[in-house]
Amino acid sequence: MLANIGDWLNERFGWRSVWEAIFLRKIPHVNWLYTLGSATLFVAVNQAITGILLTLYYVPTPDHAYDSVVYITTQLPMGWFIRGLHHWGASAMVILTVAHLLRVFFYGAYKFPREVTWMTGVILLIVVIGFGFTGYLLPWDQRAYWATTVGTRIVGVAPVVGDWLLRVARGGDELSAVTLARFFGTHVWVLPAALIILVGMHLYLVIRNGISAVPGKDE
Amino acid sequence: MGESDNKEEKINRSDFMKATIAGIGGLIGIAYGLPAVAYVIGPAAKQGSSDWIQLGSVNKIEMNTPTLFKAVVETQTGWIKSEEEISAYVLTENGQDYIVMSNVCTHLGCRVRWVAEQGEFFCPCHNGVFSRDGSVVSGPPPRPLDRFESKVEAGILYVKRGG
Repeated sequence: MLANIGDWLNERFGWRSVWEAIFLRKIPHVNWLYTLGSATLFVAVNQAITGILLTLYYVPTPDHAYDSVVYITTQLPMGWFIRGLHHWGASAMVILTVAHLLRVFFYGAYKFPREVTWMTGVILLIVVIGFGFTGYLLPWDQRAYWATTVGTRIVGVAPVVGDWLLRVARGGDELSAVTLARFFGTHVWVLPAALIILVGMHLYLVIRNGISAVPGKDE
Repeated sequence: MGESDNKEEKINRSDFMKATIAGIGGLIGIAYGLPAVAYVIGPAAKQGSSDWIQLGSVNKIEMNTPTLFKAVVETQTGWIKSEEEISAYVLTENGQDYIVMSNVCTHLGCRVRWVAEQGEFFCPCHNGVFSRDGSVVSGPPPRPLDRFESKVEAGILYVKRGG
């Protein structure tokens, strides 16, 4: 019965060939370092799930942000767990992304025909750092406030346009409700949209071009 | 053990991997799913608190005279605390049983006032008049003044929140 429904749907969707292309493709003999990309993707999915759950209660305004975070952590059942997964997942994201990049770099896996996979990967690293930077402000505690004060000031030292960029980043001269709102919007709308598009391209290229073998000693 | 050993040999690498992935995937799904459900339904599962609100000492209630009590009620919804002042008239005819009446007119929600000279509650909005025990004497109010559930403990009068 279930098989029949599967066949019926497959005739119309053709999802089995998609499944085969993704999961039954031929790969060279590789090692555990090749799992770093999948591990990064797994943590990214974790960030998406826990992040969506956090927005059910989090409110990005100066008068509610900190209280709503405390409420999530101390009052809600399993709130500490959901927030903890998101908090530690954020660090794991950066570490895994960089580890994955180093593996690709030292194995020379970015070379023809995989240059574009590399480029999308580098942009993805910037997106991940952007997530980390914008997410850090959201709890709106002392650490978040001063870290973002310092972080945005770094933008300010850019020559010529620095002062203007600083004002754009903060949405004014000082850290304010405007800063918190735009960091939140960037964190939950702009960056996720970029992430989905880039991960889609990145995975398509990985499957399209196949993965490179571990280079030999004489290569 | 002989039979199960034979059985294990029949499982090939591919089927073993499928079963393992499905098993681990299921565990991960549960590890996310159950906390997520608890997290989402958490605030709804919390029963509306039916605390008793302390009104004050029964000593200051005069026999047969409705006495006005005021109390501040703190409520917390999510992370927001709010305070609300409630007022109630308390009447006792025998010093044992207490009738606690809301001072909100049942017509359109204005505040009624005890007028001692007439011995009646008077609502300034549309001339509603209630008797000592809250029943309607004249005017537009459709029903007697609402009553709170109450209790006395160690000489202190309490009313039930939201009722």
